[in-house]
Amino acid sequence: MNLKNIKKEFPIFRNKVHNNDLVYLDSANSSQKPLVVVDRIYDFYTKEFSNVGRSVHYLAVAATNLYENTRSSVQKYINAKDKNEIVFTKGATEAINLVANSFGQKYLKEGDEVLLTELEHHSNYVPWHYLRKSKGIKIEFAEINVNGEVTLESIEKKITKKTKIIAITHLSNVTGAILPVKEIIKLAHSKGIPVLIDGCQSAPHLKLDMQDLDCDFYAISCHKMYGPTGLGILYAKKKWLEELPPYQGGGGMINEVKKESISYGDLPNKFEAGTMATAQVIAFDESIKFLNKIGIENIVKHENELMDYGQELLRRNNSVTLIGNPKNKGAVLSFTMKDIHPHDIATILDEDGVAIRAGHHCCQILHDKLGLAATARASLGVYNTKDDLDQLNSSINKCKKIFE
Amino acid sequence: MDLKELYQEIILDHGKNPRNLGRAENFNKDAKGHNPLCGDKVHVYLKLNENKKVEDISFEGQGCAISMASASIMTGLIKGKEEKEVKEIVADFLEMIKEKENLNTKLLGEDEKTKLMCLSGVKQYPMRVKCATLSWHTLTSAIDKSQNEINNEVK
Ligand SMILES: Cc1ncc(COP(=O)(O)O)c(C=O)c1O
Repeated sequence: MNLKNIKKEFPIFRNKVHNNDLVYLDSANSSQKPLVVVDRIYDFYTKEFSNVGRSVHYLAVAATNLYENTRSSVQKYINAKDKNEIVFTKGATEAINLVANSFGQKYLKEGDEVLLTELEHHSNYVPWHYLRKSKGIKIEFAEINVNGEVTLESIEKKITKKTKIIAITHLSNVTGAILPVKEIIKLAHSKGIPVLIDGCQSAPHLKLDMQDLDCDFYAISCHKMYGPTGLGILYAKKKWLEELPPYQGGGGMINEVKKESISYGDLPNKFEAGTMATAQVIAFDESIKFLNKIGIENIVKHENELMDYGQELLRRNNSVTLIGNPKNKGAVLSFTMKDIHPHDIATILDEDGVAIRAGHHCCQILHDKLGLAATARASLGVYNTKDDLDQLNSSINKCKKIFE
Repeated sequence: MDLKELYQEIILDHGKNPRNLGRAENFNKDAKGHNPLCGDKVHVYLKLNENKKVEDISFEGQGCAISMASASIMTGLIKGKEEKEVKEIVADFLEMIKEKENLNTKLLGEDEKTKLMCLSGVKQYPMRVKCATLSWHTLTSAIDKSQNEINNEVK
């Protein structure tokens, strides 16, 4: 599949926004969906629908096979060792809550430390905060440097004998910094500390290899990967899934239920309680096929070129200040403009069909550190082009004119 | 949808050079407002005299042009009004921003109403309504002092 004509695969780009072509620069928030994914949901509901894993009739068996087929595709896509290391959740948020909850319940006690970074999304902070309240744990934050990066050294500085788990983002949704996760994991493991990676922003943009990374947990958001909403993935090493207590209780996750006792089902059912987002899981297989058809190497190359181009454009625009200057950066261009609030920027850009996000992007800790209440953020996806970035730049200039 | 209607001259002017910015001397009522969605913050200070009249009003804050302009225009109109009148004006403004076409209160002059109506452009931008209403909700909360920090939700 050729990246040049990729916009054609996404029906949304046929629509006009305020009479302009849509310039979608909000993929870090959620990506657009290729037609194959949308069609798959329609087809499943119209031709193949049934609940999975329960009944033995024709439709149920077929749906169960499709559902499990996506699990295998995900396993291959992220190079996990075992298919049962893939747990479907309702989002990355739920994946992290699952780990914080189950790991916290079993392994954390008063005074233990959880190490995060100042870059974390609220999804990778709030679930741990609950454990402060319920267990009396402490939360430490590895600091960013002036470039908006978190280095191995910065992590190392905050590791103590009480550090029980490290939970960090792979790619910052604000500064775009790509963290040296492999080195961090190696360091953590040398001290016997497990690591959770929030892979929401990396999964759509980088090649993933769980076995090479050797992380303990990896959280993924499918709606940012050209997939449906309401779906996320928790990758966890098998030994963790075996050892951790279940997160939610209900149908589908049990083995034997008696009045006195309950035993839990095998992996990964133990962590998939209740009726799951069946149609979304089945359609997500199309997202993976779509990504594979383009090839992650081509995606990386395309997005890096765009990133360089966009950074250069905005750097040359003297009314714009880029937020963060990480050496290793992916897919995100956050910026501010002198005397113009990000919300006003976003509204004015929207008039031209340019969709960006303004606010704290669920990273208040980071914005506090940067001394900013809000930033504007343009983020990239496979469908973006240099023309999109030119339009961004000229709409930014229009913004400047209005406020002059 | 028209940007010019949203970013009228008067809004840009108040946004850039907000009036009554700072902390009113000898204030005796205050409240903070926060819009968790975009991080806008405002702190409203009031000095009510014994007759419950607003002797002085000011605000500190950080936010977009709409929220700063709204706070700036609001403080100008409220100065000198009595508590009961303030409430009537706030209610009238909030109704106008949400659904009504015009301002109905008799407590404001035509000039003042025209000025306030400049904010009505946000009606076309549902996500921005909160920017315009944050300082007004915060003013109410300062007067009532029931709740110190208010989170501005779209109602
Ligand atoms: C870095 C990061 N972590 C977590 C999340 C939450 O993901 P989800 O929407 O799948 O719950 C997001 C998405 O907003 C994110 O960008």
